[in-house]
Amino acid sequence: MIELQNASRWYGQVIGLNDVTCKIEPGVTALLGVNGAGKTTLMRLITGQMMPTTGSITVCGIEPFCNPEVFRKIGYCPDIDNFYEHLSGRQFVEAMARMSGFDAAESKTRTQEMMVKVGMAERCDKIILGYSKGMRQRIKLAQAMLHEPDIILLDEPLNGLDPIGRRELMDLLNILAKQGKTILVSSHILFEVEQMTRNILLLHRGRLLASGDLRVIRELIDKHPHRIRIQTDRPRDVAEKLVALPYVQSVHLDARGNAIELRTKSPAEFYEELPKLCLDHGLPIEGISSPDNNLESVFRYLVGE
Amino acid sequence: MSSAPIADLSYRNYDGALESPNKLWWVIARQILRVSLKKRILWVMSFLAGSYFAIMMAIFFFTERMSQSTAPMMTGSNMPAMNPLQQLMDRIIWKDQFVHGISMGQMWFLIMSLVVGVGTIANDNRANALLVYLSKPCDKKDYLLGKWMGVFLTLLIGMSIPSLFFYAYGILSYRDYGFFTGDKLLLFKLLFLLVTNAAIYASLAIGISSLFNQGRLAGATMAAVYFLSNFFTQAMSGAWMAFQDDGNATAKGIVSKLFYGSVDGLNIGLAKSTLATSGSPPFGIPDRMEQVPAPPFLAAFAIIIIVSMLSMLIAWKRVRAVEVVG
Amino acid sequence: MSSVSVASIQNLTVRYGRFTALDNFSVEVPNGCVGLLGPNGAGKTTLIKTLLGFIDAAAGGGTVFGHDIKKDGRLIRQKIGLMPEQDCHIPGMSAVQFVAFAGELAGMPAAQALRRAHEVLEYCGLGEARYRNVETYSTGMKQRIKLAQALIHGPKLLLLDEPTNGLDPQGREDMLELVRSITHEKELNVIVSSHLLPDIERICDHVIVVVGGKLRTEGLIRDLKKIEGHPCDIELREASPAFVAAIETLGATLLESKGYRYRIQAPGTPDQVSKLAFQAARQTGAQVREFSVAERSLEDAFLEAIR
Repeated sequence: MIELQNASRWYGQVIGLNDVTCKIEPGVTALLGVNGAGKTTLMRLITGQMMPTTGSITVCGIEPFCNPEVFRKIGYCPDIDNFYEHLSGRQFVEAMARMSGFDAAESKTRTQEMMVKVGMAERCDKIILGYSKGMRQRIKLAQAMLHEPDIILLDEPLNGLDPIGRRELMDLLNILAKQGKTILVSSHILFEVEQMTRNILLLHRGRLLASGDLRVIRELIDKHPHRIRIQTDRPRDVAEKLVALPYVQSVHLDARGNAIELRTKSPAEFYEELPKLCLDHGLPIEGISSPDNNLESVFRYLVGE
Repeated sequence: MSSAPIADLSYRNYDGALESPNKLWWVIARQILRVSLKKRILWVMSFLAGSYFAIMMAIFFFTERMSQSTAPMMTGSNMPAMNPLQQLMDRIIWKDQFVHGISMGQMWFLIMSLVVGVGTIANDNRANALLVYLSKPCDKKDYLLGKWMGVFLTLLIGMSIPSLFFYAYGILSYRDYGFFTGDKLLLFKLLFLLVTNAAIYASLAIGISSLFNQGRLAGATMAAVYFLSNFFTQAMSGAWMAFQDDGNATAKGIVSKLFYGSVDGLNIGLAKSTLATSGSPPFGIPDRMEQVPAPPFLAAFAIIIIVSMLSMLIAWKRVRAVEVVG
Repeated sequence: MSSVSVASIQNLTVRYGRFTALDNFSVEVPNGCVGLLGPNGAGKTTLIKTLLGFIDAAAGGGTVFGHDIKKDGRLIRQKIGLMPEQDCHIPGMSAVQFVAFAGELAGMPAAQALRRAHEVLEYCGLGEARYRNVETYSTGMKQRIKLAQALIHGPKLLLLDEPTNGLDPQGREDMLELVRSITHEKELNVIVSSHLLPDIERICDHVIVVVGGKLRTEGLIRDLKKIEGHPCDIELREASPAFVAAIETLGATLLESKGYRYRIQAPGTPDQVSKLAFQAARQTGAQVREFSVAERSLEDAFLEAIR
């Protein structure tokens, strides 16, 4: 749906994006990276606010720069917080609807639908000046979805929402994704992102560090062997057996004496071997987990300390 | 603990004594003094405010020197009388000098307030500093009192130095010419005037500062208030001159009151009424224009107090203590 | 640690006009590290203001460290350090001057304040940048300096409002580590208000949940996360109905399944249950990748609590 081909964009001597090639398919994709990594630049390129300095970007096959055709297909929910504070939420979204080209009656109905969808139906008649962060986020999302776009871009949408609001928004995005829309979410809060999708785009200093499924990426990070943690009250016995296995690189005894952690580059082989430990050697195993098989660890490994 | 080879640099809690939180306004005032007394422009303005005094000191010095080296005049009665220069020295009305000094210093006082006072609360508003103040054992009273005292004391120091210097010089050198005997309470009246000057400028600065988020806008507003009111005074001055020759008494009376209707005017008016003089032409240069008489003391004083308190009331209302969190 | 509780609120009612922010609210804030949770607008902010001694109570009252919240606001604030959510600083000062001034405002003598400002800034990781003007700081540094100015006067209670706001993952990690090391090793009481529940889980042991102006629940996080009957979660390499059938034959009951994750209930200790899992796996050729005693995440526990 969204395709970048060697896209680069710089501002004077400051690099925004550097030679990025990727495809963003329908479903929820997470756009990750530290501040200044290029996430906002990427979003601006997709929404057609800027042109890539070199390379190309197409949305559904068309170039988005200054192209109203493409704007119809995209809904953008930015992270900036500037509204016309004296308007009510409803008035603001209605104004946005009119600007999108809907007539007065249609604007009203669509606004009402959106308000219900984002959970602001009772509160949208108060002026925006008094809104909390969470309410503002919802208004932003409402105006992004007015014209039922196929692509929705959200820049830090969960910022300031309480856990209920977060759940509601994530559920809403999941529903939209199931309907076949392409949703790109940019966020810092990795554990939230993890709950939404396993599909990531990781940017760092303008370059694309990784794209695709989280699990696949984790497997491929060769430099950092997998850590597997085994909870047992006979750690040394378990350790003895583990050390004998050729693909176990190291075994670490937990200071509290109730677990061990091993590192291996071949987790699959290890998992095959695991039942033998328990059943044949009779070692008690109370828990198995993989502490670095999550987004936060992958992020850290790829971006570096 | 100090015998361990490797020092423990982890977090240590502070269990030392904490002073009782009753003199916090002084902590705030002290901070303002620390910062503003270092500003060079304050001292430049202070010097410029004393330019009238400096010039007069030079004039008096040379007049006196020359009068002493001039031969006394011979009159018919064969008694040495004062020569013209000595007569000049004798005729000097010392308290008028202070009126002029304060009058000519007003604009420099304004600039001092712009430099030192008008940014205080405005900058705090922009940086959300109130959140820091109020999360400590400090409340709105301490905050405003501290700010006011800091600005007031700074201005007082800046304003006083020229006048007090001139007073000291006068009391040492010009006793013979009636410096002290002319008005024995001159020093106290002078101090009173300096305090009220500093107070009104400080109050205005703080009041206006609290209305804005940017020091620059607050400064521009205060300057605007000063100069617009000054413009009004100039107009009144023109009217006064017009009424010199032909005006009727009531019109003249009204104009003579309105003449003091500006920031600097109020201070000048108070100076004149405290020192009980209508003023004389500055620099001793005769002027055919009659001086505007002093306004009634209580009225002048009351208006200054009211203006100051109104400004501080504005500040009190504007400083919103409520939203410390969220 | 002393047995005097940090704060004790009784039957407190606070109203803003017609809106009741806190309704007959009572809570005993325990020692140690406490998380304050609740939806927006539930009264958390008002509770924090109360602890700082700032409210106008319509009814009820309370004490913080033994001081009355209605009368001794200043004394209370001498013992509390607040790290606000919004950006704030005193303009025109370097980091050291700012933190030292904050200390003086809390009542420290000037010399002590300056000395300790250096120490605290060093500890918060701002050693290098301490002579720079605060206005030039990045988001992460601004958060740290807010923490430093909260710690300067050695408070007995630290109030943190969204401490990881705006920080990137590394910054968040650093801040959490910092707070954890101060609170757990140095026995400083902390109350953390945040929407990010994993952060709270990381630093705190207790939680207080406020909903609609009332106390909804409170207790140890450990207790809130427990699930009745200790079911176990198993993750396989890929979904396997055969595995499920096999493990059921061995005496377990399937409670939930989602893709390749299963939650089962079986008698016995965890290591006995894991044995069953391995047996079933061996029989059916499945591969067990994860096994643990099922626990609710704090987020789930919270959402359930406020329903």
